[in-house]
Amino acid sequence: MRKALLITLILAATLVTALVAAPLFKTPTSPATFSEAASMMTKTAVSVSLLFVWIIAAVVVTLMSAREVRYSSIEVRTSPLHCFALGLVAVTSFVLTGILFSYLIPYLVGIPLLAALGVFAVLTKVYGTIAIFHAIGTIVAGARSREVMMQRRWLRGDLAMVVIGVLLLGAIRLIPVLGLIVWSIASVFGVGTALATKFGRREPWFLVFRPADA
Amino acid sequence: MNDACQRYAEDPEANAAHLNACAACRAVYGGVETKPVNVDVLPLAPWEGAAYRAWPLVIGGTLTVLAIALALCAAAGISPLSAIAFDVQANIARASLAYQKLRPFGPLVFAVPFIAVNGILVLLLRRAPRGIDA
Repeated sequence: MRKALLITLILAATLVTALVAAPLFKTPTSPATFSEAASMMTKTAVSVSLLFVWIIAAVVVTLMSAREVRYSSIEVRTSPLHCFALGLVAVTSFVLTGILFSYLIPYLVGIPLLAALGVFAVLTKVYGTIAIFHAIGTIVAGARSREVMMQRRWLRGDLAMVVIGVLLLGAIRLIPVLGLIVWSIASVFGVGTALATKFGRREPWFLVFRPADA
Repeated sequence: MNDACQRYAEDPEANAAHLNACAACRAVYGGVETKPVNVDVLPLAPWEGAAYRAWPLVIGGTLTVLAIALALCAAAGISPLSAIAFDVQANIARASLAYQKLRPFGPLVFAVPFIAVNGILVLLLRRAPRGIDA
């Protein structure tokens, strides 16, 4: 019952988000004129350049905190619904908080608050997306048994899984409409798993007060 | 507890003969039922082999993407840095456009959904991660 309610809520939230975020103009899937072809070439160049930045960021973050990325990746694979719901709510919260903070800009306090929110949101998205790269890499290319893992020369370890994930999601990103949708969903999952595991540290966000036993 | 007892406690299989010689250890460990565990039969843990760094794959993948990016940027007549800057500027422009549309509604319109959404966020964040315990 609770799971069905959660699924219904997630579907409803996804529908609302899709309706709100849907582009108001038609995206051409195949170029008809020379200028459209040039525009599509520029878009692809931008996407692949960004993919290169993502690879560098993913490798650096994985080298710095591989265990945390692995914990977040495990979390999104064991509790995908919770991570997606948390991601949707968190993204909505970022937007609403940003709008409310923007009303404080005339009082000066709004500027540091907005900057802090922006930094936190970007860090959450980047870290979470790298955890999703790891999860996708592990699902697609992860070893299922010890023997298979020991036989492999390249396709093992956190770093390899992350790179496989970046390359796969990056390739999907190049598909005109589907790529954007898949990347957005991956970002929502990423934000969800980053917050669910507190950036892989698996610590509670809120302390619970327990009175001392007499 | 002497050194022999200590060695038995640390590695019972290598020092199995000590159990027959020491009555104290026999009294403590004699009743403990031990079963040999075949580690290879156990399922693969997520951390096994995780520290391995496949540098050829990383360097190969990165250089391939870099080469494709450079080729596409050259074909499109832009530099890779300006491509990244273009994307950042486009995102900022999109966000400011959305902000200009939403701002006239006033803060009170956003206050109720702000409280509701952040309330749900706090409730969702209270759940402990399952992950490795699942």
